[in-house]
Amino acid sequence: MDQNHIRNFCIIAHIDHGKSTLADRILEMTETVSERDMKSQLLDEMDLERERGITIKLNAVQLKYKADDGEEYLFNLIDTPGHVDFTYEVSRSLAACEGAVLVVDATQGVQAQTLANTYLAIDNDLEIIPVINKVDMTNAMPEEVKQEIENIIGLDCSEAPLISARTGQNVKEVLEQIVRKIPAPSGSAEKPLKALVFDSFYDSYRGVIALVRIREGSISVGDRIRFMATGAEYEITEAGIRNPKEVPLKTLQCGDVGWFAASIKSIQDVRVGDTVTYADNPADEPLAGYRKMNPMVYCGLYPSDAAKYEDLHEALDKLKLNDASLQYEPETSQALGFGFRCGFLGLLHMDVIQERLEREYDLDLICTAPSVIYHVYLTDGTMLEIDNPAKMPDASRIDHIEEPYVKAEIMVGDAYIGPVMELCANKRGIYSGMDVIDSGRNMLVYEMPLSEIIYDFFDRLKSCSKGYASLDYELIGYRQEDLVRMDILLNGETVDALSVIIHRSEAYQRGSGITIRLKELIPRQQFEIPVQAAIGGKVIARTNIKSLRKNVLAKCYGGDISRKRKLLEKQKEGKKRMKAVGSVVIPQEAFMSVLSMDDNDRR
Amino acid sequence: MTDAKPRSLYVHVPFCRTICAYCDFRRYVYRSEAADAWLKAVEKELQAREVFHPETIYIGGGTPSALNDDQLETLLSLLDPFAEEVKEYTAEVNPETVREGLAERLARHSVNRISAGFQSSSKRLLKLMNRHHTEKDMERLFASFHQAGITNISLDLMYSLPSQTSSELQEAVETAVSYGPTHLSLYSLTIEENSVFGKKGLKPCDEDTEADMYEWIAERLRQCGYRQYEVSSFEREGHSSLHNCNVWNYHDFAGIGYGAWGMEQGIRYTHSETLKGYLQDPLYHKDVNLSEREQMFESLMMGLRLVEGLDRRLFLERFDQDPVSVYPSCMERFRKEGLMDWNEERVFCTGKGYMIMNNLLEEILEEADL
Repeated sequence: MDQNHIRNFCIIAHIDHGKSTLADRILEMTETVSERDMKSQLLDEMDLERERGITIKLNAVQLKYKADDGEEYLFNLIDTPGHVDFTYEVSRSLAACEGAVLVVDATQGVQAQTLANTYLAIDNDLEIIPVINKVDMTNAMPEEVKQEIENIIGLDCSEAPLISARTGQNVKEVLEQIVRKIPAPSGSAEKPLKALVFDSFYDSYRGVIALVRIREGSISVGDRIRFMATGAEYEITEAGIRNPKEVPLKTLQCGDVGWFAASIKSIQDVRVGDTVTYADNPADEPLAGYRKMNPMVYCGLYPSDAAKYEDLHEALDKLKLNDASLQYEPETSQALGFGFRCGFLGLLHMDVIQERLEREYDLDLICTAPSVIYHVYLTDGTMLEIDNPAKMPDASRIDHIEEPYVKAEIMVGDAYIGPVMELCANKRGIYSGMDVIDSGRNMLVYEMPLSEIIYDFFDRLKSCSKGYASLDYELIGYRQEDLVRMDILLNGETVDALSVIIHRSEAYQRGSGITIRLKELIPRQQFEIPVQAAIGGKVIARTNIKSLRKNVLAKCYGGDISRKRKLLEKQKEGKKRMKAVGSVVIPQEAFMSVLSMDDNDRR
Repeated sequence: MTDAKPRSLYVHVPFCRTICAYCDFRRYVYRSEAADAWLKAVEKELQAREVFHPETIYIGGGTPSALNDDQLETLLSLLDPFAEEVKEYTAEVNPETVREGLAERLARHSVNRISAGFQSSSKRLLKLMNRHHTEKDMERLFASFHQAGITNISLDLMYSLPSQTSSELQEAVETAVSYGPTHLSLYSLTIEENSVFGKKGLKPCDEDTEADMYEWIAERLRQCGYRQYEVSSFEREGHSSLHNCNVWNYHDFAGIGYGAWGMEQGIRYTHSETLKGYLQDPLYHKDVNLSEREQMFESLMMGLRLVEGLDRRLFLERFDQDPVSVYPSCMERFRKEGLMDWNEERVFCTGKGYMIMNNLLEEILEEADL
């Protein structure tokens, strides 16, 4: 197909505004997927995505559409995640497109991620087609939402299709506008190859599979290519598109979005964002790539079974292939042994990686509480970047500590302003303003420590606003705060993996909160275990886990034997997810619990 | 080595007049026609196997006494040929189902031990459990069975019930003892997922309360002349349950009737999953083949429940290995920590280890690596 008939676009939206459903409908209407094969949220490939109803990974498919002008067009559709943690993924897919379909829920209107994603698309010079979804709902307010988009974002909505992705109503108009409004890819087929790697994954038979957008030239099976950043050279063994099944092709044309394999066994050779060119006729310079994201949240990941360290290493290598934002390096903990300190974009990202490691690679993990990067200025004038509380130097050597602050923008209805402000205040937030967006809705702006956002802020925000508040945040720099490291001692021994960095003013409440929670989480053992919180050797809170008194099956007769044995086996397996630290067995949740905060902890 | 013939025979009667809130056994509300059909199936099952003469027979349930007189007569008659050399023949009875002639009928067919569900003396707690007997029912039960010559009577007693107070518990124990049972089975409430309690989402009472209650009852029963011989079992004057001791000593037992499990020749089996399936094919057995290692672990798991412990010689005879050397690292450690000990005849838990036997078993299970 000639380049003029190609349209590359992505769908962007706030989480739950119907992005994946619209993708499903488009796939159906272009008969890319037969109804028989249709399962809901087709592009959400991971079980995890379907279960949680979120898109985590971007996913590209090619489809053919016969437009009203009688001509056939080739669409490359890229689905994108909608959660704040995955802005990075969105920016990757945007770099491969000329246009974006912006889906806004007619019942909810513009939300924080609608704004964030739209601004990303504008930064990437994409043509944006606003679409109002869920107009079949009884509480839909399409006209108001159109007005809102015009007012807040400044996009012309006079032609915005009013659709229901669920029923398919008016989705055809979206397809027509894609044909009419989104420009065809511009590059030249004659020039030396320039292909942007926007994703990759590992296939155990074929090696690394790279997902690419061809900007200039073309790729054919047999071509010798070079990755411009790493310099690695390979011969293309297979290439093709997805619809969403893999379809092998001889050649990927200029403007195409597709994949190739080249027997690449070395994972490090392929970097997302790199440019692929010909080995013998290279392009002068690589493509711009896109904004690189730095991890904001760090935690330690340790295999429950120390023998699985290498497996974990390998699994992280493979995950990193299609998740360039994941960072990790080996670390050692006295309590947990050998593991990795891993950097994530946010808590959901961390959660998703942990779950993928456990499910896809069958690993049992112990995760320590997430931490941000602290800037620790020593008395000798040097500065250390500390991403692990256990590494915090001795207080006598520290001059002062700075922690990262974010500007948090929270969109919230009038009714929930009170609770949201209270939450922000509890999280050491500094109020910096409130904009009234339209009648009934406001944008609250706070400056707050990132460390306060990463743990349970998002969940709490949702629960104190009945799910209506939405959040976006960005790093605004480092500020000096009176921070201290609090250690937790079990049975008199410091457990390094349980140390946290907290604000001094909160030390007592947090210390007693943590010790009480650990008492609840750590199963009673054969001896009494003192649980203490200490700052610089001074104990500030203490409780005891009483020794186990009775654990014996009430009754067991002939019919029960198998069942009771299974019960014991289950309990035994449960303990495998715990870690013996010295003589104390600690369940996985305990390591995360140090950051969780009950409402009464701060009162 | 396994027993040539099962030492025991268990018959499961899957009917009850009402369903107790804590129960998750295989049971149905009694309907006469269903019980008739079930009896026909039991007859087929018994006829299909060669008559053998077990040391013990146990009719449990469900509620055997939920059957009407004719049905009970049929069942007991079917079992008569198996009962010729029986030493202990137990039937479970619910106090409110005791009626005229029941005790005599059971006695006529050689039944010589009764296990009755007493559970509590508190009207409030009985109601919570959906149990319906009264004090009068209890008195009538003892009077009628004593009169029929069955004096070996065991009572089930439950503790750590939701909201149970210590005075309710004390009263229950005193009342139970006042009837003069020869045996008491003491159960802490386990909230089973498939029971009414489980479905209602009731939470068990906390560990300390449960341990307090258990210790109090055990001490009180000791004062009253009862000897604890198993985790949940107390006896007087040599009336430990022979049937259950056979199970704890890991002897083979035949399981008859829908819902019954059996173990013969290294195979544990149960019947069809549904009553309907059982009625269609009473001979169907769903088998679980137990490896020798599994049998060894189970044998230990059961044997340690006895206060006197696992019969070391029997284990050696069966598996040609000494239990202490099968799990050397756990055994040595537990002995050092004062949780277990052994002599020539027995391997047993010490008082401290006995109370936390599950923890020990989990570690042994890990070492057994099944």
